[in-house]
Amino acid sequence: MKQDTIRKFVSLGLLLILLVVFSLTSEYFLTPANIFTLLREASIIGIVSIGVTFCIITAGTDFSTGANVALVSMICANFLYYTGLPVFIVLLIGVLSGAAAGCVNGFLVARLRLPDFIATLSTQGVFRGLTFVFAIRSATGVISNKVITNPDFLLLNGDIGGLYYSTIAFFVLAVIGQLVLKRTKLGTYTYAVGADRKASEFSGINIGRVKIAAFLISGICSAVGGIFLFAKLGSAIPDLGIGLEFDVIAAVVVGGCAFSGGRGDVFGSVLGSVFLVVLVNGLYKLQMHVSYQLIIKGAIIILMTIFDSVYMDLMSKYSRGKSPRAGEAVSGGAQ
Amino acid sequence: MSSRIVALRMEHIDKSFAGIPVLKDVSFEIYKGEVHALMGENGAGKSTLIKILTGIYSKDNGRILLNGQEVKITSRTDAKRNGISVIYQELSLIPTLSVTQNILLGDEICKKGIVDGKAMRKRVMEIMDTYSLHVNPDAIVETLSIAQRQMVEILKALAFQSSVIIMDEPTSSLSTSETELLLKIIRSLSRQGVSILYISHRLEEVYEVSDRLTVLKDGVKVAVLEKEEIEPKKVIELMIGKGIDETVVEAEMRKSCQPVVLELKNLSKKDVFEDVSFSAHRGEVLGISGLVGSGRTELLRCIYGIDRLDNGQVIFEGQVMKSNVSHNIREGFGFVPEDRRKQGFVPMLSVCKNIALVSYDNIKRRGPFVAGKEEMSLSRQGIEKLDIRPNNPHLPVGNLSGGNQQKVVLGKWMVRDLKLLLIDEPTVGIDVGVKEELYKFIEALAAGGSTVLIVTSDLKELLRVSHRIIVMRKGKIFKEFNTGSVTQENVLEAASGIEKECAADE
Repeated sequence: MKQDTIRKFVSLGLLLILLVVFSLTSEYFLTPANIFTLLREASIIGIVSIGVTFCIITAGTDFSTGANVALVSMICANFLYYTGLPVFIVLLIGVLSGAAAGCVNGFLVARLRLPDFIATLSTQGVFRGLTFVFAIRSATGVISNKVITNPDFLLLNGDIGGLYYSTIAFFVLAVIGQLVLKRTKLGTYTYAVGADRKASEFSGINIGRVKIAAFLISGICSAVGGIFLFAKLGSAIPDLGIGLEFDVIAAVVVGGCAFSGGRGDVFGSVLGSVFLVVLVNGLYKLQMHVSYQLIIKGAIIILMTIFDSVYMDLMSKYSRGKSPRAGEAVSGGAQ
Repeated sequence: MSSRIVALRMEHIDKSFAGIPVLKDVSFEIYKGEVHALMGENGAGKSTLIKILTGIYSKDNGRILLNGQEVKITSRTDAKRNGISVIYQELSLIPTLSVTQNILLGDEICKKGIVDGKAMRKRVMEIMDTYSLHVNPDAIVETLSIAQRQMVEILKALAFQSSVIIMDEPTSSLSTSETELLLKIIRSLSRQGVSILYISHRLEEVYEVSDRLTVLKDGVKVAVLEKEEIEPKKVIELMIGKGIDETVVEAEMRKSCQPVVLELKNLSKKDVFEDVSFSAHRGEVLGISGLVGSGRTELLRCIYGIDRLDNGQVIFEGQVMKSNVSHNIREGFGFVPEDRRKQGFVPMLSVCKNIALVSYDNIKRRGPFVAGKEEMSLSRQGIEKLDIRPNNPHLPVGNLSGGNQQKVVLGKWMVRDLKLLLIDEPTVGIDVGVKEELYKFIEALAAGGSTVLIVTSDLKELLRVSHRIIVMRKGKIFKEFNTGSVTQENVLEAASGIEKECAADE
């Protein structure tokens, strides 16, 4: 656990550096309004990243989250627009469709044995396509972005004393996610499968089931994130969440999950999400063009991955150097 | 062994793959609290028998009885439930989880779906106390030494109340002192009534630890020996079926009359080794001994050029060498790494490609294309020289037996104009017959004028092949021996620090 703790301070340090730099360069940065906006922005990436954290810890990944977000919000929009179903039923349907999308990924990976990368890249296309199919059209068949006016639904966009509901949901889900990861069998198995697949198999762990669970969680988180994003915009557009998966993976990697699996946790990803949003917001405040933001985000994924591998090497050398000889630490079975 | 209760009995086991019989009517039994060695060459059927016992393969015929009751074992979980566990060559622990989590993996203690860490820790401590086997329960496995991980592995088996523990080459990556410790633990487990089926290529430890010994040959049980009857020569003869000539150590001291080829001057690498200097002669086999962690593997890697030195010079034929593997290979270096699976060959590629892999500078090209014929003839040379079986150059190396894989690794150097061969643990997991062959190749290589540096934990092997032995300890050269006068005990004492001079340095 010690290595993980140190790693978390690295994420936290990076975040603090950003905060200091941006608050020095922009007087609007550290205002309460901006902070609440930041936390709200972070909550969308953050909620989705909780699920992706599970996938990455199993040494997998999920590229379909952005499309899943769009699909779920489009499905909700259709129900809100065409039916008079109560909002909580619509939300339930939204979450269930996200879960179903996650199950499709899980099925492809666990049962059909596709690599995570291929499976979720393909479903990314499929989900996005379906979103366009379900898009609400005008009488002439042109996709029209109907503004949803259902007041109950728009309540989701509200806040308590400036703290948005999405932010609260983010923190609550993060705590639940962390508990599942650290304090349940599923969590232990998630680490086990990611760290050493073969050894897990030998320990009688059903790897397929763990993979499916990870994708299911990712699907549900994408759905919740998608619903909040949709509520924030007030209308469902088929282009919603394009490139979101990129931000999410960047956040998770900054937070300390290794693509090789078995490392990282939800709290790390929370830090990562906030980091990423602060970065984007700060760059925006510095009037930097979106294109540079993308370049910087890409560079961050590369740098953090390099950092982690160098760091792991150092740590393993350090701990090997410190770990006592077997004979000293292990008292023998017999005298 | 006064009370002989049969713990496990296998009766008339038959197994064939695609019509080729691998096990023929094999019966054997293990008593409660017995250490029973299973011996045989590669391909004798040992692993098949174990795989049947642990449910990985199904048997064609026969019965398995546990404590007198017939049991059906069709999966690893069945085996576990019946109290049969295997400690594998490659360990099956999760590196990023704690010792406690690993020991109870798949058997967590939960309260309302939440894992109860305290109860798990307590349970693990109880198991540790029962068998007086202690490892820090909160340590993350990746920070443990290999030997400690093995303890965890054993504890894991014990946590499942295993009455029979199968150990497949458990000492292959342990140093001498760690091996000693493991053997101690094995004896203590057997005293507590756990039966142990022990498989190892290191004959000495087998003789030391086993109560009885079963020899398999070509899928048939050829003998069961009681402790008093176990005698090295006899066992080897039973296994191989022919008398091997024990003209073991020929004390040719070619050192005096051959020129120095390799000279190491004050080599240092921070925290690994320090101020290492020695020289090697043409045609000499120089053994480097020392415990795991003494810096011997790292030294070899630095000489080869794959790791950087912090200080010092490697001088080869009068030329100062740099840390540049491809350059060094062209100069005539060859390297047979310890972990042949990961570093020695590419399992997916064919024998032909693997042998040619380091020799593309010598293979003719047609424009940008490699001349396939040349490649093939080169690999056939290698196959012939080393008698690689099957002699099909198109076969992926991953499909060959361990011994033949090692021959491929050697083969790719043998087809070159090799001047210096660096070998690290060449015979780990390789059966006696092939071992002897490999020694012959090393001898032939040296006789042909190449210099060989060999690192090995197997003292018998060290004495068998080297002309001179350098003992490393804690990153420094501690002692040098000439073979002929030296015994295993001498080397061991020097390596482990029983010799007094260094006793007080910690």
